[in-house]
Amino acid sequence: MKHAILGVAFAAALAVPAFAQDYTIMAPANPGGGWDGTARAMQEVMQAEGIAPSVEVINVPGAGGTVGLAQFAADSAGDPTKLIVGGYVMVGAILTNASPVTLKDVTPIARLTGDTQAIVVPAASDIQTLGDLVEKLKADPGAVSWAGGSAGGTDHITVGLLAKAAGVDPTKINYVAFSGGGEAMAAILGNQVTAGVSSVGEFAEQVKAGTMRLLAVSSAERLPGIDAPTIKEAGFDVVVENWRMVAAAPGLTPEQVAKISADIEKLNASAGWTKMLADKGWTNTYLAGDAFAAQLEADTAATEGVLRDIGLVK
Amino acid sequence: MSPERRPRGAAFVIAAGLAGLAALLLVDAAGLKQDGGYAGVGPGDVPRIIAYGLLVLSVLTVMSGLRGDLPKPPRQAPAPVFWILGGLGLQLALLHVAGFVISGAILFGMTARGFGQTPLWKAVAVGMVLALVIYGVFDRILQLNLPAGPLERLIFRG
Amino acid sequence: MESFSLLMQGLAAAMDPMILLYALIGVTLGTAVGVLPGIGPALTVALLLPVTYGLDPAGSLIMFAGIYYGGMYGGSTTSILLNTPGESASIVTAIEGNQMARQGRGGPALATAAIGSFVAGLIATLLLAFLAPQVVKLALTLGPREYFALMVLAFVTVSATFGDSALRGLTSLFIGLALACVGIDGLTGAARLTYGVPQLMDGIETTTLAVALFAIGEALAVAAMLTPSDGMHSVKGSVRMTGQDWRRSWKAWLRGTFIGFPIGSMPAGGADVASFLSYAAERKLTKHPEEFGKGAIEGVAGPEAANNAAAAGTLVPLLTLGLPTTATAAIMLAGFQQFGLQPGPLLFVMNAELVWTLIASLLIANLMLVVLNLPLIGLWIKLLSIPRPWLYGGILLFATLGTIGVNPSPVELGMLILFGLMGYGMRLYGYPIAPVVVGLILGPMAEQQLRRALAIAQGDWTTLVSTPVSATLLGISAIFLVVPMLMRRRGRGQVLSQVAGDAD
Repeated sequence: MKHAILGVAFAAALAVPAFAQDYTIMAPANPGGGWDGTARAMQEVMQAEGIAPSVEVINVPGAGGTVGLAQFAADSAGDPTKLIVGGYVMVGAILTNASPVTLKDVTPIARLTGDTQAIVVPAASDIQTLGDLVEKLKADPGAVSWAGGSAGGTDHITVGLLAKAAGVDPTKINYVAFSGGGEAMAAILGNQVTAGVSSVGEFAEQVKAGTMRLLAVSSAERLPGIDAPTIKEAGFDVVVENWRMVAAAPGLTPEQVAKISADIEKLNASAGWTKMLADKGWTNTYLAGDAFAAQLEADTAATEGVLRDIGLVK
Repeated sequence: MSPERRPRGAAFVIAAGLAGLAALLLVDAAGLKQDGGYAGVGPGDVPRIIAYGLLVLSVLTVMSGLRGDLPKPPRQAPAPVFWILGGLGLQLALLHVAGFVISGAILFGMTARGFGQTPLWKAVAVGMVLALVIYGVFDRILQLNLPAGPLERLIFRG
Repeated sequence: MESFSLLMQGLAAAMDPMILLYALIGVTLGTAVGVLPGIGPALTVALLLPVTYGLDPAGSLIMFAGIYYGGMYGGSTTSILLNTPGESASIVTAIEGNQMARQGRGGPALATAAIGSFVAGLIATLLLAFLAPQVVKLALTLGPREYFALMVLAFVTVSATFGDSALRGLTSLFIGLALACVGIDGLTGAARLTYGVPQLMDGIETTTLAVALFAIGEALAVAAMLTPSDGMHSVKGSVRMTGQDWRRSWKAWLRGTFIGFPIGSMPAGGADVASFLSYAAERKLTKHPEEFGKGAIEGVAGPEAANNAAAAGTLVPLLTLGLPTTATAAIMLAGFQQFGLQPGPLLFVMNAELVWTLIASLLIANLMLVVLNLPLIGLWIKLLSIPRPWLYGGILLFATLGTIGVNPSPVELGMLILFGLMGYGMRLYGYPIAPVVVGLILGPMAEQQLRRALAIAQGDWTTLVSTPVSATLLGISAIFLVVPMLMRRRGRGQVLSQVAGDAD
């Protein structure tokens, strides 16, 4: 009897991957955050669109995703059913935490979505343009306090890059790290700080309501529906995108990688994914293959440079 | 801290522990960037203040120990403590090998044994049923990811 | 009264029997999961959120409200009966609540917690409905320096949880503060006391520490007793509150509510801080100071009202600004977005109908909660008559479940064992447990707010007293420190005379 059950299970296990395979997606963060949201959105769409019969999400929070990344690289080598969600923040965290496991130890598949950074000031501020803000920064870097997320995160990097582009010593910026977007936003709304940096989406409602002034966005081109220049337009060569990606386990055969890439491409092309992104207000920045690999490399190098400049990486 | 130790001795052990903790904080703080940035208070400063506080408390603990101020604990039975700690240790060791249900059953069984429930196998069996129910409810229905071992795969996925 | 008529409409819509059924299911699930030690409201909401998917917005919102209030309330039950709080906001409940349970007064303790939660939930939800825009404006004027002053006040009042020796209380607090240093420094990203262990980077999880010190420490201490006391298992007197219980509770409920709601509304407040302050207030104001530490009902009524009021207060910045200020709120935000509700300054204008349905849902869920839980008290008390081997086996299984479910790493489980042993040792030598957890929670908050305030002011320490709010809060803290000294001079102080006595 037991053999029969095992036999059936074995047959089923063999039969299924020929058509579609199950996935386990690791979100290297607590429930509720962006990576967790990405993983759960993938789960929902992949199941609904029949890309995979069963998708499970596990959370392994800690240290900007490096705890999850290390566990993923160690435990799932050679397993084509394991995926991990990650992103730009991870690139910085690997450097600042001197993580022994890097993105080279997994198999990046594709960039999925991205957030653009926004620079805002409280509505009551006398600063009207990014130019005004940079003038103040040049005059006295300490007098310009910036509210944003964790030290060494995307927000901090954006400020560092802007300072550098404006010819201000990046180690001199007065960056005040807040835990979580909520507290930083409260500090900006309460006029406690000079300026704030976070994703465009975080600020959108406030800007619409007129409680904050959007000075610039960090994308290469202006964003549709958002009335603000890019940082580049304002004269500073800074483009930052807080992207999110999906990666597979290390040690896979080219066929296995091709199969996973095909599934992710199917996900990206599906109507369900398009609708999901629209509902969540995420921008689709799908990029796969060599182009993604090249971008990853460029981003890592640039991030390392700026973190060194800010003084977070020795 | 062995349970039989007399209060006065225990005070010295506690004081040594506090001083040790303070030393850890001070050594670690010395290795941090000393620059406080615009705040003037750097990452090492608060740990240092806490370490000084611990040192003062350590001295006060020694003095209260000399006076015998520490309450004398009632006599302790060590066996149950070892049963429970053993259960926790086995759960830790076996969790990723044997899965949530088996390691949880062992923890439950050994805890129950520590509280005087014999025989052990019966306690483990009860734990197995409870852990299976928990696994079913939390992992299967509520999608809380609990480590699966052979048993979970056989019952829930086979 | 336009808001009032909108609320009435919302309530009328919620009176549908199906909606009430959803509310009942939500409250039941929330309480059932929230009652397990180690599973706090954040995890409860995260686990149960998917249950609400697929319902229409009204049904989904009400089930959701039920889960939220149920999860908040559930934590107090195990706190009181088993001395194992599952989350940081019900830690102080354990101090007096468990003492009451040991004296066979678990019934009144649970009742005052349930009714206090109801009263606080009712008042706070109404405050949310009518005052949210004003409250949030006020909360936004507070910045890091005000929060630092608030933390100082919380620290000063923490001595209320010290038990009978100031030296041992302070020692516990400092152990908590030392543990709080572990992890990445929030302001500079420097790793402190992590020794290269990645799991330590984010610091020591409050739930891990609380569950280990309370649940595991308690299990070890009870198991190691040579002659088990039977006092804990027998219920003496009625499970209902007596007239005197009512008289002593109602003021504590109201005070708890008015401490909890504003603190929960502050972007850097929190239900745990609210419960600490409420406990300290009750201890200062009580007419029965001799009962504190030995089962004073005010010490249960106040904090339980405060943490529920703070839970409603958390919704103020969430709904009016889209600011999630707690982990639970962050998960709720994700939940709201499922049905297109975009919290933010325009929410009350753009989604008026949904907002009022939500507020009506919260009121109904709150009522459901007390209706469901008062009759259940008798049942919960029976929990204590489960034979100890099974009871503690179950407690440990559930206590580890929370840790395993969130983060099944050996490091996390190892910490659970280590801190469990520490909790046992502390119990042996009369060191109070609560201050350790209080230190772990308040330490990083105070440090980060201080350094943020100083960074913004470029190192100018006078910034700390430069606003009326911060100056007042620090002033009150100073009074709290000085008055006991004066009282000691008149021969009535205990706390400081003990410090002095220890130092002589």
